[in-house]
Amino acid sequence: MLTLVIGNKNYSSWSLRPWIAMTAAGIPFEERLVPFETPEFRLEAGPAAKVPLLIDGDIRIWESLAILEYLAETFPAARLWPADAAARAHARAIASEMHAGFTGLRGHLPVNFARKVMKRPLTPQAAADVARIEAMWAQCRARFGGPFLFGTAFGAADAMYAPVVSRFVTYAVDVSRETRAYMDAVIALPAWTQWRDAAVKEPWLFAEDEVDWPQVHRA
Amino acid sequence: MSLTLVIGNKNYSSWSLRPWIAMKAANIPFKEVLIPLYLPGSKEQILSHSPGGKVPILIDGDQPVWESLSILEYLAEKFPDAKLWPSDARARSHARSVSTEMHAGFVPLRNHCTMNLWLPPKPRPETHTPEVMENLARIETIWGDCVKRYGGPFLFGKTYGNADAMYAPVVARFHNYGLPVNAVTRAYMDAVMALPAWREWYDAAMKETWIMQHNEPDWPLVRGRAVTAPV
Repeated sequence: MLTLVIGNKNYSSWSLRPWIAMTAAGIPFEERLVPFETPEFRLEAGPAAKVPLLIDGDIRIWESLAILEYLAETFPAARLWPADAAARAHARAIASEMHAGFTGLRGHLPVNFARKVMKRPLTPQAAADVARIEAMWAQCRARFGGPFLFGTAFGAADAMYAPVVSRFVTYAVDVSRETRAYMDAVIALPAWTQWRDAAVKEPWLFAEDEVDWPQVHRA
Repeated sequence: MSLTLVIGNKNYSSWSLRPWIAMKAANIPFKEVLIPLYLPGSKEQILSHSPGGKVPILIDGDQPVWESLSILEYLAEKFPDAKLWPSDARARSHARSVSTEMHAGFVPLRNHCTMNLWLPPKPRPETHTPEVMENLARIETIWGDCVKRYGGPFLFGKTYGNADAMYAPVVARFHNYGLPVNAVTRAYMDAVMALPAWREWYDAAMKETWIMQHNEPDWPLVRGRAVTAPV
């Protein structure tokens, strides 16, 4: 049985990625949630002191993208990467682009499921990131037919961008109808609802992720 | 169908070095296209190859592959004999963890010690900030652990692979900025710097003439000499 160590669901964008990929694909796992800034977190968070962490027997895999690669290899039937080599190269390119990039967006619009949906004006860097992401999603859905980025299966590339969907929703980012259609497909997943429902019930508050601090807006 | 790799300046483009050195070390043939960065028209030239607007880009037929890490994944699939990832599943998952940790991390090291191969190597304490020293400690733990577990001289054994390629720019940063590395780290750096592929990249970098002021910590000294002409 696999164990996935994650951080707080409300704030941990990186934890959401393997969690939603596994849940959407029906890969069974035990979830171990360790809240940030607790002794438990320091004990459980693995070699790089970061979550998420996947534990398979005595193998420990850290970094969301490395976990997705491991899952794709271990569960080929889940089709986390597209079967076609060119499509797979495309999927890995945008997954890597997300993994190391879009710092303007990530810094300005932190994941915060429980925040009341309210518009936050974009910085120029965040706006440039949004434009690039919208172009990328539209290109994928046009090329592979949607509703997800690489066709009918929610895969590793979608999982990498799941936190972006949440950011766009929470901060009421102005997006094209095409982008909205993709977001709606992701939000309609039972796995999404399951994560969000758990996230909004959490008691922990982190000032650095509350952009309205010292105010905290809740729905 | 032959492969084309689009890269930036060899002296400065750390991300370009990764797939380039992996392919050279593994004897994978490719055509190189070098676009000097931050010049008028550079961005447009890069965008003509890939919508991400960044180097490196691998072009195989009509499929552009961007981002150093996904290029390495692509090469590992296409050339299984090159053994760019370890063949053992457990070691492979380890290699991917340390590669992705590099891909998205170590921001202080990357910002304070930008890759600059012609920078005269010496300790540059002003760049050894507490955050950089934390990055150094973590990387030394990763490398030390890998060399011990898999026997060296490279991170996952005798073959220079994808994880090594991801850390190749770090070898240059440690060297040029004179970070206080331990003996195991130094031995690993020496093994990487002894590769003919490293030498080939380095020699080409030394012949370049494009200067990027914001990556020159000794400015107005460049390569130990005062720059007089405007750049």
